[in-house]
Amino acid sequence: MGKGYLSLILHAHLPFVRHPEYREFLEEDWLFEAITETYIPLINVFDKLIEEGIDFRITMSLTPPLISMLTDGLLQSRYIRYVEKRIQLSEKETERTRHQPEFNRLARMYHKHFTDARHVFAEKYHRNIIHAFKKFQDAGKLEVITCGATHGYLPLMNNNVNAMRAQINVAVRQYEKHFHRKPRGIWLPECAYEPGVDQLLKDADIRFFITETHGILFASPRPRYGIYAPIYCPTGVAAFGRDMESSKQVWSAKEGYPGDVSYRDFYRDVGFDLDYDYIRPYLHGDGKRTNVGIKYYRISGKTDHKEPYSPEGAMDKAAEHAGNFMFNREKQVEHLASLMDRKPIVVAPYDAELFGHWWFEGPEWINFLFRKIAFDQKTISLITPMEYLEMYPVNQVSTPALSSWGYKGYHEYWLNDSNDWIYRHLHKAAERMVELASVYQYTTGNHLKIRALNQAARELLLAQSSDWAFIMKTGTMVEYAAKRTKEHIFRFTRLYDDIRANTIDAAWLSEVEGKDNIFPDIDYHIYQ
Amino acid sequence: MDKDIIKEIFLLILEIFKALCEIAWSKTKNLVILIWDRFFGLSDVSREQAASHEWGVTGENKWPSAPETPAIKQEEPQQEIEKAEVMYPPAVHELPDSYGDNRIVLMVRDPEWLFTYWELRTDVVDCIKSALGTMAQDARIQLRVYDVTDIVFDGNNAHKYFDIEIPGGVRSWYIRTGEPGRSFCVDIGLLAPDGAFHVISRSNAVRTPCMCVSEVTDEKWLSIEALYEKVYMPVDGSISETVFKKTRAVWQETLKEGVSSAESSGGLTVSKK
Repeated sequence: MGKGYLSLILHAHLPFVRHPEYREFLEEDWLFEAITETYIPLINVFDKLIEEGIDFRITMSLTPPLISMLTDGLLQSRYIRYVEKRIQLSEKETERTRHQPEFNRLARMYHKHFTDARHVFAEKYHRNIIHAFKKFQDAGKLEVITCGATHGYLPLMNNNVNAMRAQINVAVRQYEKHFHRKPRGIWLPECAYEPGVDQLLKDADIRFFITETHGILFASPRPRYGIYAPIYCPTGVAAFGRDMESSKQVWSAKEGYPGDVSYRDFYRDVGFDLDYDYIRPYLHGDGKRTNVGIKYYRISGKTDHKEPYSPEGAMDKAAEHAGNFMFNREKQVEHLASLMDRKPIVVAPYDAELFGHWWFEGPEWINFLFRKIAFDQKTISLITPMEYLEMYPVNQVSTPALSSWGYKGYHEYWLNDSNDWIYRHLHKAAERMVELASVYQYTTGNHLKIRALNQAARELLLAQSSDWAFIMKTGTMVEYAAKRTKEHIFRFTRLYDDIRANTIDAAWLSEVEGKDNIFPDIDYHIYQ
Repeated sequence: MDKDIIKEIFLLILEIFKALCEIAWSKTKNLVILIWDRFFGLSDVSREQAASHEWGVTGENKWPSAPETPAIKQEEPQQEIEKAEVMYPPAVHELPDSYGDNRIVLMVRDPEWLFTYWELRTDVVDCIKSALGTMAQDARIQLRVYDVTDIVFDGNNAHKYFDIEIPGGVRSWYIRTGEPGRSFCVDIGLLAPDGAFHVISRSNAVRTPCMCVSEVTDEKWLSIEALYEKVYMPVDGSISETVFKKTRAVWQETLKEGVSSAESSGGLTVSKK
């Protein structure tokens, strides 16, 4: 009989990037890298655990833009092209390094890595890896939760409740389409909550969400168990608080596991290191050097001297870190259990793309952690938030505090001098969308107008992605983020004007529908 | 016939006169707009630093405890911006400068800061100015920030307020209230030389979040104080000060160091260096 629970939550998200108008597009690589380095390695870990009969529980948010991209035919075929080029490069690398054994074995490792990714993607899951996640969910091991339709930052659109509701409802409809049931939980975009958001969740039958630590810490009335048990908002939707200690062990730039010198260095990539003419065929059309995903060195601290990566050493370290993480959770749970009259739950959420993409060994760390929890201890068990609610249906009623998981804990990262210009346009577009939905609520038979109205809804949603404001603040790829914001607002505004003036340009509408094809089944009436 | 020729000549002269006027206008337009902005500030120029504000009480003059911090936060120095790997052609479609609205919108940024943006219609402003008569030229655009916590605000019943003078051309502002857990509303208006404030537009009301552990303890749980404190204690810590202070300190420390995607480069979007 265990004393408490650990709930590991991975937030998998990428903004909707799809450019059929170009033969290839740099930012589409975000998806391809994440498939190769994060999603497929995680799928492999889960498949193997199930195959060996090892029980585990994990919760993952697969955001609607990510699901849209993973199920899009064009991006699926472009992924095959991407991974085949990587296979080809790793073959060339195997040949080039034949007299350097310490690099040659790594080139072979990457070759295996890429050919395996291709096999899992194309053959095993027939290009649609959502099927894999659905399989794990149906097997009771994984709880897939949803997110905002385009990861829109809800508290920064709170002057338009219809716009907030559309973010939730479009997401729920898409989830139902792919997972054949309603989502029971949601990862609020950027973990951003403010009182009132829970009402929208309740209306969509969502049972729980996650908040940043201080969302629960500063909740009112004061939560009895702090962040180690959920609270019910007055609407009855449960809020689980993020545990600081477990977060820190993995995330912290100073003391987090991923910075260990045994692990692979993310920054030393052959796309930058090798002779230009040799690597040129694997770069994008513009010929700028970029990461190609083959990295030979391990993190070596503050020195220019880099040691070649050792997969064996890294695996030992990942196992050691998994053991350390488990040990700390055991101690934590033992302590908490002694103070509480119920079993505590430690909620540990992370960005999924940290595992594998940034922290190459991350998926193996999860693998080791789950195996160790299954065999090496009896104090903690893995659980999903929903299972915990089923076990403890009675919880304290309290209203969480406004919060996000961004820098300084509130909205500043998405509302500052670098990006505040977007909000007057986003708010106006949302207001106009509600107006359109109201004015044209009884439109029937006019297929062109209905198509234009639906496309207007898509453009608004795409403009609302919190990613654009985020990228503007980070300072890299700012131009792309600004261009995307302007483009979607422009397309929305033109559609609005054309619909109002009854001058819809069918050819232009088709072109825009072809580009921004997210949510094919959207119905603009959601804005009513 | 003669009549027609005279008519033609008359129309021709009219056209030439119109063309000359247009040329003259195009030459002087920028100057006129510049002067207009300088005095009435209705189009977008750069934002400037604001002076410190003082609280006032609605209907009275001043509220005693004046926060000393400046009303605009000095943003951290911009991070070094690395060039994107692909140069994008400049966006073809720039966004509209205005939407023809007369409105001010208020947003919460964090427990101590608000953000507001506005768009004013010249006809509305002109209307107020014509009512002001000769005082119009010395009237200044101001923001009036009201504390409207737990009241239905009618323009006169705020707990207190303070004013921020807005430089010409600015269309948004960060407001430091320094007061978590309160509700605010903002008017943008013209302050006449006689001290009267003429509202051009009133914002929505917003509430800043509390930044402290709630003092509200459910009656059923009144006896759990000690238990609650223990639960918040770090696993291996032994602390004498109150757990709430400690927990808050740990939490703030954690935020500084960065343990989430937003600052530790977890997502792919941030990884593109």
